[in-house]
Amino acid sequence: MNIIQKHICRCLIQKCNSGNVPLSFVPARQATVLNWLLDKHRKSQLSQQPEKEDDIEQETIMVPRDYKYLYPEFLPPANYRHRDRIREKLERQDMFCRRTMIEVPEFYVGSILAVNVADTYAPSKNTRFVGLCISRENDGLRTNFILRNHIDGNGIEIKYDMYSPLLQSIEVLKLEKRLDDELFYLRDCPPEYSTIQFDMEPIHLPTGSAVPLNTIKVPLGPRPWDKKWDIKNFKGLQPSNRVLGKRAAIRLERSAKPWEEHDLMKQYRENINDEDVETVLKEVVLKTKKKSTKSQRRQ
Amino acid sequence: MSLKIPYSQTARKLRGTFGVGSGPSGRIKRLRMCVTGLIRHERIESTFARCDETRGYAERLINIASRHGDKDKYAMEVADYWLLEKDLIHKLFKVIVPRYENHRSSYTKLYMLPKELPGYGKDMGVLELKDNPWPQVVPKQRETKYFLTNMLVDELRKEHHRTKRSPFVNKILETSADNIDIDSIQNQYILDNLVDNDEGKTKNDQSHENKND
Repeated sequence: MNIIQKHICRCLIQKCNSGNVPLSFVPARQATVLNWLLDKHRKSQLSQQPEKEDDIEQETIMVPRDYKYLYPEFLPPANYRHRDRIREKLERQDMFCRRTMIEVPEFYVGSILAVNVADTYAPSKNTRFVGLCISRENDGLRTNFILRNHIDGNGIEIKYDMYSPLLQSIEVLKLEKRLDDELFYLRDCPPEYSTIQFDMEPIHLPTGSAVPLNTIKVPLGPRPWDKKWDIKNFKGLQPSNRVLGKRAAIRLERSAKPWEEHDLMKQYRENINDEDVETVLKEVVLKTKKKSTKSQRRQ
Repeated sequence: MSLKIPYSQTARKLRGTFGVGSGPSGRIKRLRMCVTGLIRHERIESTFARCDETRGYAERLINIASRHGDKDKYAMEVADYWLLEKDLIHKLFKVIVPRYENHRSSYTKLYMLPKELPGYGKDMGVLELKDNPWPQVVPKQRETKYFLTNMLVDELRKEHHRTKRSPFVNKILETSADNIDIDSIQNQYILDNLVDNDEGKTKNDQSHENKND
């Protein structure tokens, strides 16, 4: 009976489209649903739950240029093998939910933070840690940041998950940027460059001012080091006095890759393209508009 | 702007050529030559792998040129690096960028050539810019649907199916689109199905009545 029902439908479609058409039996295709057809069905008025279109709203939204650096955790991974658009959307919803409970301030690598974490074994049921932000990694709900401090002759680093429910508050004591994206080289620098007092008072910037850039150049301590920091061309490091041997100099020459500067496809593979960034950030703009504009310090 | 072509996440390793070199540095040198050739002649023939690699770079080059314009420093740097013959920089910004102003799809087209034996022993390909002045690579095919032999075979296939189907289905399929009555077909369908149900109903009703009594 299924064949007849299909046939009747086809007849009716033919009737509507082009009047008198002689019938011819068309064999049924395989049962696959095309993406564009599904989209058409969702948006049609005949469907029982038509999808609302926010395209008109989204076209008018202008994404500020600094949002890419303000909300880096919302951006998807660049590698298309690691992408899953449904998972990303669901994760973003969870992130917005978490942001209603806890205020995640604007901060960069190089700024000084104070974090409160719930701890059942502590007498006050929470612990506070103050440190310098060394790195920000990953995206979505898995974003984390590392704080570094030097206490009692020991360098201490703690990695926090930004959207973990154990976090009670994140404070920014000093907002600034550094010359590099990662400051792992502070592990092998003198301890005075990563010591921060726990009773440090927060430094407030005047409203409307840009984020200051700290152009400090840190000297390296004595060897041995965790990695060969002097070879890696960090902008925030002073040039070391290490004299390279003959073999090491040759190795350094070989490690230079001048052709990668204009390798267009390599750049494209490693970075997210602008169209994907815009579609994601438009969602962020819509959500942040509804919240109070207190957190928006700059335009 | 995103690329409108399929690309792999890892770059392909290319074989080195004499006088150019091998390895990642030789690969980029070779690709620069291919990109300049493509912009110069608008169609090049090479191995398929090399064509596929140059395609991404050519697309990106045109993408950057159209996005930033000829007054941008970065765009001019990129064009200066990738085009070895410097008169082609004018062609890129003045001819090719305006050509693809309203294009939504990719700027290039890639074909695979048939293998020649005995020959080079590799898959060869043709890469070309779209809307070029050359004749087409693949000629337009004729419509073979209305050839007499094809129509006869089609009819034969239909007849074969017709014999296998039940007569009830055939009757409906033979009616034309104008004369089709959905109500009559529906009634017939319902009547056919009801015969079984009615018998079951009557039996159940009788049993219930007996119990009540």
